[in-house]
Amino acid sequence: MYPFHHPFDRPVHYEGLFPVTNRYTYGIASEKFFRALKEEGIILGTHCPHCDKLYVPGTIFCETCLSELEDWRAVDNVGRVDTFTVLYKNLDGTYRTEPEIVAFIRLGDGGLVHRLAEIDPKSVLIGMQVAAVFKPPEERTGNILDIRYFKPV
Amino acid sequence: MNKDVAIVGVGWEGFHPTSVDYSYKELIYQAANKAYHDANVDPRKDIESFISVAEDFFEGTSIFDEYTPDQLGAVLKPMHTISGEALHGLISAYLMIRSGLFKIVAIEAHSKASNIKSITEVTRYALDPILQRPLNFHPDFVAGLEMQRFLHQSQCSISDCSMIVQKNRYNALSNPSAAYPMSLAETKLSEDDFLAYPLLESHIAKPVDGAIVIVLANGDVAKDISSQPIWIKGVGWCNDSYALEYRNWGELSYVQKAAKMAYSQSQITNPIEGIDFAEIDDSYAYREAMTLIALGFADNTTIRGLIREGAFYPDGKLPVNVSGGSLGVGYLFDASGAQKTVEAVLQLRGIAGARQLSQPSTAIVESWRGVPTTSSAVVILSNQRE
Repeated sequence: MYPFHHPFDRPVHYEGLFPVTNRYTYGIASEKFFRALKEEGIILGTHCPHCDKLYVPGTIFCETCLSELEDWRAVDNVGRVDTFTVLYKNLDGTYRTEPEIVAFIRLGDGGLVHRLAEIDPKSVLIGMQVAAVFKPPEERTGNILDIRYFKPV
Repeated sequence: MNKDVAIVGVGWEGFHPTSVDYSYKELIYQAANKAYHDANVDPRKDIESFISVAEDFFEGTSIFDEYTPDQLGAVLKPMHTISGEALHGLISAYLMIRSGLFKIVAIEAHSKASNIKSITEVTRYALDPILQRPLNFHPDFVAGLEMQRFLHQSQCSISDCSMIVQKNRYNALSNPSAAYPMSLAETKLSEDDFLAYPLLESHIAKPVDGAIVIVLANGDVAKDISSQPIWIKGVGWCNDSYALEYRNWGELSYVQKAAKMAYSQSQITNPIEGIDFAEIDDSYAYREAMTLIALGFADNTTIRGLIREGAFYPDGKLPVNVSGGSLGVGYLFDASGAQKTVEAVLQLRGIAGARQLSQPSTAIVESWRGVPTTSSAVVILSNQRE
């Protein structure tokens, strides 16, 4: 009843391709955050007075109490490694020639996911202090890559 | 109103690394036939509504809900698709019956993973487009970050997580439907093949193809048509913040809250006493350990000892993933919760074959939508109506 193939037959199928492209509006909060990153080399958060929570990156509303947030604050460019991983593979599944350290750096009550460099992967510790290394102002374009990486303080 | 809802039929096709002969529709059709036979229902006459669980990007077809009715017997009948986990679909069916508007509802979930040629890219497309995608990391960095924080807080080692892989793939040896059974108990897993240190390649469940159909009915109907209805005693679901930036990496608060909701409905105050076995997320080995903590079976100080003493083997204090889990059966993406539900039903009916546990009465089933989500659901099942 069912079309079982000869072992050397190629299974019958159709190849599909869906070239997806999108545009993602930064919105009020991300525009302010990335403009400050690009123009001033600072990391901005917003403070919720009701929950006493400092969101980094800044957002225009508190996800805990849904208050509108207007208290924008620059946070220190130095944070702590909350957790980290060492990537051995590229997106296409091939092995990297050099492993890459990825960390979640705690800043305020939020933080940023980014590369960690200028340190041997075996020396990274949870809790260690790291600082953002920015691109020179003329090379910044207003996105997360305006921070090159974080490095140990 | 009758508040009782039971699972009265299960059917599945699979599970295999590839399924070159069957299309996804044919996989589902096979599973549906088995489930309807098991439930003793005619889908065209008896089943009043159908739910499909599917995600467009994984299907490779936009507006996939258009493609779901025919293979289930749902043409020109009430039908909808949920872009969530199979347990979300199961819970929706449960709520529809609890509403009193429907007596019999069927849900379907499937994976045709072998047809997805760019799984990593699809997963990467689930990351925040502004904050994370420009960094161009392999998306499993999220699992690497989470596992590292878990090891830090629990003092578990990479080897402890390897023991979970060994257990689940060993369990799969007794499951004829499992795609990745392996007796690894005597052979230590290689611990130098990292994808995202401390996450090893061998700690990641490998994809499989398969389809599962589950039929639910209200208490009166269930009693009439099934000799072994399995009762849904509690359901819960929860999501944390979507943002990696606002997440607490050391704990699965959303799993904890989903479980709390389900325990409360089931009147379970102490899960260690109230639950006989668990079928839970193990799409990455460390997730099984983290989930056990969130479900209340251990804490950060006890989990390491429990893993090492074999507490989660079939003959241990709490058998976990006796089916082989996603590590042993294979990873079915959003259909994983359905596979785990099927295992719980078979065990509670006492027909799980070589892996049958000794007279279990209550099970917990939990699932997670995978990296980078915080989307989890929990269902408590029992073979006792009262």
